This record gives sequence, C-alpha cells and structure tokens, in this order.
Amino acid sequence: MLVRTIKTWWLVAAFVSGFGLAMWAEDLALRWHNNLLEFSAPHLHFLTGQQLERLHHGAQVPFDIKLSLYSGTKSLLFRQIGERFLMSYDVWGEQFSVVKTLSPRRTVAHLDAADAEAWCLKQMPFDPSGIGDTEKFWARVEVRVPQDGKIANPFGRDSISESGINLTGLIELFSHPPVSTQFHTTSESGPWTLEELKRGGRRGS
Amino acid sequence: MKMLLLAAIVCSVPLAGCDVPYGNDDRSDDEKALQELNVNAKYTVESVQVSGQKNWRISDALRTEVDKMVGSKLDYPALDRLADRIKKELHVPAVSVNVGKGTEPGHVVVNFEVPKSHEQPLELNVAKFLYDSKLGWSAEGDGSTAIKGNKFTFGIVSDSDALIERFAGIKAKFERKHVATERLRVRFEFDSFHEQWNASTLLASDQAGIYRSRQVFMPEATLVIAAPLELDFGTSFSRYRPEQPGAKTESSNAVVTTLRYHQRWGSAKDPQDQELNGSFSMRAGIRAFETDADFTRQMAQARYRFRRDRNKVEVGFVAGSIHGNAPLFEKFVAGNATTLRGWNKFELDPLGGSHIVHGSIDYGYRWLQVFYDTGAIWDTARERERKQSVGTGFKKDGFQLAVAFPIRSSHMEPIFYAGLNF
Repeated sequence: MLVRTIKTWWLVAAFVSGFGLAMWAEDLALRWHNNLLEFSAPHLHFLTGQQLERLHHGAQVPFDIKLSLYSGTKSLLFRQIGERFLMSYDVWGEQFSVVKTLSPRRTVAHLDAADAEAWCLKQMPFDPSGIGDTEKFWARVEVRVPQDGKIANPFGRDSISESGINLTGLIELFSHPPVSTQFHTTSESGPWTLEELKRGGRRGS
Repeated sequence: MKMLLLAAIVCSVPLAGCDVPYGNDDRSDDEKALQELNVNAKYTVESVQVSGQKNWRISDALRTEVDKMVGSKLDYPALDRLADRIKKELHVPAVSVNVGKGTEPGHVVVNFEVPKSHEQPLELNVAKFLYDSKLGWSAEGDGSTAIKGNKFTFGIVSDSDALIERFAGIKAKFERKHVATERLRVRFEFDSFHEQWNASTLLASDQAGIYRSRQVFMPEATLVIAAPLELDFGTSFSRYRPEQPGAKTESSNAVVTTLRYHQRWGSAKDPQDQELNGSFSMRAGIRAFETDADFTRQMAQARYRFRRDRNKVEVGFVAGSIHGNAPLFEKFVAGNATTLRGWNKFELDPLGGSHIVHGSIDYGYRWLQVFYDTGAIWDTARERERKQSVGTGFKKDGFQLAVAFPIRSSHMEPIFYAGLNF
C-alpha cells in the first residue's frame, strides 16, 4: 500500500514539475492580432545587471531588439525586423520611460521594469505574409545593448526621419556576433503555424 | 526579401563604413535630442561631487567645468564627457556617473565616482614598441599597481633608438603622488641595463668611454609650483662598468632639475583642441657626490599640437648643450625615430653629440601623416651642419607606420618605422 502511495506521489510530482517546466519554457509567445503577429516574452528580461544599474544611476541606455521568423527548416531565415529603444529611469518617480526611436517614434512613461520590456515587444508587430497557414515556422527574439552601452547617435545622420535609415544599421549591427563584453540575450520558440495562432492557440517550446 | 535586405545593407555601407565625425552642430542636435529623451532631463542639478580616491585632485579648469553643471538641467551626455575628461586627467581605468535624488523635489545630485586607488588592478602598459629598418627592434613595457596612494611599477626594456647604444634591462619605480601636501610627489627609480654597441661607435671611440653595463638610481621629487607648471628636482647616481679589461667601475652622479609646463585646451571630443608641452632640464655632475664624470647638460624641449576636426599639426623643438666630460648615455642623439627621421644616427654622429638643435613639423589628416625634420648635432663648431629629412606614413591610436628620407645630394636611402608610442 505504502509503495503504491509513493508511486502515485512520484507520478504527480513528475507531472507537476514537467508541467511547471513546460510553462517556464513558454518564454516566447506569439499572438495573432489585426493580421499581424505580436511577440511577448514574459520571462525574457533585459532590464537587469549592469544595464539596470546604469539606469538607476540616471543614464539612458539603448536596447536594440531584433525579431526573426524562420520557416521550412529552423535555419532558413524568412524575415526579420529591428528596432532601437532608449530607456531611462526616473530617479524621483522610480519608474521607467521608453522611447521607440525609429519612425513612427513613440514614447511611454511610468512603467515598471516588466511592463517596459513588454511595451517594447508590443511596438514591433510582425507581418507574416508569405507564410502559408499550415506552414511551420520558428520565432526568435534577440536583445542587445550597443557596445559599452553608450549612445553614439541613435538616429543616424539623417536624424529622426521617415526614411528610417538606421534600420539598415540595426540589421547590420545584428549581423555581427556580439562581443563578450556586450549585453546579449535571446529567446526562441516554435514550431508554430498561422492556422494554430489564428484559432487562438498559444504554445511555447 | 533577402535581396531587399541585402540592397539596404549595401546602400548603407558607404554611410556606416566611413568614420566621419559629425559636425559640431549635428552632434549638438543629437545630444540635445538625447538629453530631452532622458526622463531625468527635467531635473535640476543640485550639487556635483567627485568621489572615490583620497589622494588626487582634478585641475582647476576641469573643476570649473564640473561646477558649471550645478543649477542647470541634467545633461547626461555632457556628464559622460566630463567623466571621460576626469578619467584621462587622473589616469584611472573608469569613472562612473551616478545621479541620485537631491534634497529638494525636482533636484538631483551628481557624483563622479573614481575607483579607489588601492582597488586599481594591475595595469599593463606598452610604453614603446618600434621597428626601425636600420636599428632593429626597440620595446619597453611595464606593469604597475597602486596600493593606498603608492604606485609600484616594474618594467623591461630593450632600446636601440633613444641613446647611441642599445640598452636592455629592467626598470623598477616607486612613486607616491602626494607627500604632506598635494603639491609634492616623490619617486625612486632603479634601472639596470646591459649595453650593446654599434661597430661605428666602437670604431669612432677606440673603446674609450664604452661600458658594458650600467645601473642607475634616481630619487626625485616633483613640486607643483602653480598648475600646470611643475618642477622636478633630485639626483641621479649612475655606475657603469667600462668595457676595457681591468678598468674600474666609474660613476656619474648628478643633480637633476626639470621645469615643466603642460597645458591642454579642449578635448578629443571637441571639434578642436590644442596641447602644449614645454620643459627645460639641467643635469650637473657634482664633485661632492664623488662623480667621475664632471659635466653639465642643459636641454630645452617644446611641443605644440593643434587639431581641428581631422586636421592635426604638431610642431616640435629641441635644443641642448653639454659642457664637460659626459658619459655616452648623456649625449644627444639625432637620426632616430623622433629626431631627423630618415637619417642614420651613426652616420650623423656615432658617439652622440654634445650640442643639438632640432625642429620638426608634422601634419596629419585622419590617419595620413607627413612630416619634415631639420636640425644639427655637433661637438665642435666646425662639425655643425644642418640636416633635413621628410617622411610620410599612417598614424592611428598610437600605432604608426612611416617611411622617411634624408634630404641630401647623394643617394637617398629611406628608413622605415613601425610600431606603437614612439
């Protein structure tokens, strides 16, 4: 009887821990909204460590975020988009302020760290047109802080323009591997299908 | 889509690849935009302090710049620039900017935090690294660490460029930046070298004055008369063993004094900056120190550098004179990597000269550099003959590659220079 009870508990514990791990693994989620894909990564935190320390000391820190979709096989890049966000932390209000630098420029203030991170991803809706409804694809989020975290010129030579010339710069920036001293974090999930997302299914990997 | 991305990257290459500094106005606009985007830009700076180390002091000019921040709106890019200037002035690895709440709402306090000197890790430095196609390799490197205001440096050197001989050996130095007052610092240096001589020197000297090894002990102090005017004073005790068999060890003991002026206007981040270095030094062998070499050596040096955007001009001047019987390591040298570049020093004066006059002008545009040297080195008036040389090369972040030609009617054999910090 005792052995049987232990076995049952082991099964329950294994299931619960497996489920917990599976939930934890859902660190990059996709949502179908207005014919676009919205990324969210509640477990991907980039307001941490040295970046957070600099922000708490009143500095403004740039974060470059790149979203990518891979189709067919995981190594075949389908499309990618990039964006630069400038974060600052109000030393009196003790809340974050974020500026999306590429056109259209947007600003938000009075956010806590998790909301500031989430807001950034929300500003990057992804157009998946070209992917078939049943075609499998994978998603990836990559966050980097430019070398030494200082902002050389976030707007490029044409400053804040409609051309968004810095997008090419961002793509170029992400085309180089990060150096060891550079803050860099990524998250991946998949495979997904548009059909599944349009039905409202959410799943991580 | 891939093609589009590729096209976008290719189109952006001319912009991304060229290292064109933005004009002052553009940079100001970007900095203004950045400042406005920082949520803390609305706050007024209540106070600014520089903290961390005990035994240092920033220059009055920099202190004034720092104090100017008080009462203005927080400008983080400007604070970053000031942190860079403090870092350079104090020769520390990093200076962090910390902004915190002030005593009144809407006000902030700024603290430039300098790492404490006893926390400074071992600092390695390549003081010189040079290849000269005539003289070969020269290199000098050291490691230093600071413990509670005391700096200990240990270095190794092998140099065929600075003196008439190649000297190789060790250097050890202790330095305390402030003694009793912030205006006084002391240092003790001990060097031990072995010498190698060029055949031209051996032939010209007939072995007289040639030594095989040399030890130097130099206790010195620096008094800041009125920044940036400083006075070094101390003594130099040198012992050298002559090459001739059976000869006894000789000594050259002298008092040394140098009056030095160093001023800089602007910084590398400004559209233009200027720097002036000037010094007058005197060494005199003193009989009271039981010296075998009885001499006086005087030398004046000045160097002015002006940079505007990518254009840089440097003008240098050296004049020196030795009276009496000075050992060969005190003699002046021309025809090396800093004076009469392109000439062979053994051709100009294989034993070094007791008089020198030298002027140089260097012009640089971005990495490209051209230079012109002129001067003379002599022992007796009839030997005095003006020489000239020209050269060109590349210089970037201390690394330099140059070729220089002596100007003369006979054959012109170029000399190549390559290396760091020479």
